[in-house]
Amino acid sequence: MIQINNLTKSFTTKTGKGFKKETVTVNAVNDVSFECKPGRIFSLLGPNGAGKTTTLRMIAGIINPTSGNAVVDNVDISQGNDEVKKRIGFLTGSTGLYERLNPDETLDFCGKLYRLPEEAYKARKEYLFEKLGINEFRKKKLGQMSTGMKQKVSIARTLIHDPEVLIFDEPTSGLDVITADSIIDLIRESKENNKTVIFSSHIMSEVDLLCDDLAIINKGSIIFNNSFDQFKKEMKAENLTQEFINRVKEA
Amino acid sequence: MRDLFIIVRKELTELLRDKKTIINSIVLPTLLIPILMFGGIKVSQMISESNQQKKIKIGMLNAPTEFMQLVEGDTLNQITTYTEPQDFKTLINDGTIQTALVFPTDWQQKMDSLATAEVKIHRNGTKDNVNERVSKLLTAYSSELKNTRIAQLQVPVEKMTPMVQSYIEVSEQKELIGKRIGGFIPYIFILTMWGGCLLAAIDLVTGEKERKTIETTLSLPVSKFSVLMGKAIVASLLGFIPALLNLTGLIIGLNFIEDIPDNFKVALTEMLTPQSITMILLLLIPFSLFLAGLIISLVAGAKSFKEAQSKASPIIILIIIPLVMALMPGIEFTWATVFIPVLNIGLGVKEIMAGTINIGMYAAMLVSLILFAVTAIYFSYKKFSDENAILG
Repeated sequence: MIQINNLTKSFTTKTGKGFKKETVTVNAVNDVSFECKPGRIFSLLGPNGAGKTTTLRMIAGIINPTSGNAVVDNVDISQGNDEVKKRIGFLTGSTGLYERLNPDETLDFCGKLYRLPEEAYKARKEYLFEKLGINEFRKKKLGQMSTGMKQKVSIARTLIHDPEVLIFDEPTSGLDVITADSIIDLIRESKENNKTVIFSSHIMSEVDLLCDDLAIINKGSIIFNNSFDQFKKEMKAENLTQEFINRVKEA
Repeated sequence: MRDLFIIVRKELTELLRDKKTIINSIVLPTLLIPILMFGGIKVSQMISESNQQKKIKIGMLNAPTEFMQLVEGDTLNQITTYTEPQDFKTLINDGTIQTALVFPTDWQQKMDSLATAEVKIHRNGTKDNVNERVSKLLTAYSSELKNTRIAQLQVPVEKMTPMVQSYIEVSEQKELIGKRIGGFIPYIFILTMWGGCLLAAIDLVTGEKERKTIETTLSLPVSKFSVLMGKAIVASLLGFIPALLNLTGLIIGLNFIEDIPDNFKVALTEMLTPQSITMILLLLIPFSLFLAGLIISLVAGAKSFKEAQSKASPIIILIIIPLVMALMPGIEFTWATVFIPVLNIGLGVKEIMAGTINIGMYAAMLVSLILFAVTAIYFSYKKFSDENAILG
């Protein structure tokens, strides 16, 4: 379960030349609230630069909110990021894997930081390697792998600690259809396992395929937050993509 | 502590799998000093041998017969005798001759009357080999003439030699050589430390941003401080190891390279005792952490390897200037210089190698380096915690 209340994130940048400096503060996320329930897939939809990644990074404890709070699996993110991080699996489309390590070393590194019991960790790793077909390249350096192989390792890394909450930040971005399909399967499977799933996207067809609940974010603010069925009921345009575009333009 | 160890191990594994790091931080530092020592000795020997075998073209005007015979005694001297004054500048510039010795026309009368005669030497001041050899010939001839005159005047030699200078060296060979060359050793290893730290810090911070793995690391249950400290420790190790290998290379070079002058070899071996090496390495631990912290705070906001290099590289000037100052005569290891980073190491290592270090000042230097390291780590943590800089 994720409960987001009035979450705001401001970024301050200094611009200017010489002695003349200007400080500019931008609200990347502005007073955002929503709720993601276990066993349901929550989609955070928005155009590029809308604030999706910033919101997900705050939930995952990667960055700190300026104000507001988020409760992840009954842990308030303000109480300590590490506890929240232990409950979350965070996956992005860019895989974010250490290219000079092999899959075994990558999972060992993550497993140790999650402080998983040795035996349970080994069993979990072998299960994921078997399930995702990583065994045949488990000693190969990640930098020498194809995108599809890397994404499998990335999935294993995300699931190694069997998290209750799964966050997918544009998980299929830049991937071919076959690799993207494995991510879609993973999201579906997580839902079946009663996990809380939140994923961001700007691709309406993906949302249509997976989504139970939907929030649309634009310029840092939520402009729609309800079930996906309700979104479809309220539709005025001919298709989902056009409806999304119209709502963003009207906002 | 456990998390820090996990981060250090992972970062070190990653870095040591990079060929660039292996070459810059392991191979080059180990070979650098032996190559410099061996290469320097061999090159100077070759230059000296080649100079000795070179023919030199000497022009002479009005030269006395005895001097001509002296010059002709060396077959490598190619003599051109002139009977009339010439434009020697042109002759030297166009390579006809390399130097010209013009004796006065009344040379013999002056010699007979025991007067002083002037020999004009036309020369190009940049041609050291020619000038040194001609100078030796003239000195030998002048000495011969002087002895002849002393004999002719029947004056005892001691009456013509009112003073003889005799030097008694009170410093130990170790101190003498330590102070003279001790400054060059930190010059070498501080520069290799800088190179090692720079490459490692950029790879660990900017490289991780470029490879888009920083988000993965920050999504793991480990504090930003542990992540930063892990990176700083590994960067400082990759600076410290080259310095250690520099010293190892120096010791290997001393034991295996022939042709090193014996007094130099003995003095260096005396200087590089376990005690002096420990004292030097102890200084380098906080110094490498200081460098790592400084570089990380500079490159934390960089978006690419190139940008990081351009941000950090100018700092090399702040390293080289104090190192050059440490080599200058008159700049000593005092309470005024003991707190200036880099300069203090340059001067301190000289004193350690000469065996004249003041322990109180050494302790003060060590404490100041630790404080500088803590400050640099603090600033690097501030920069590393800047979400704009790290994830931007």
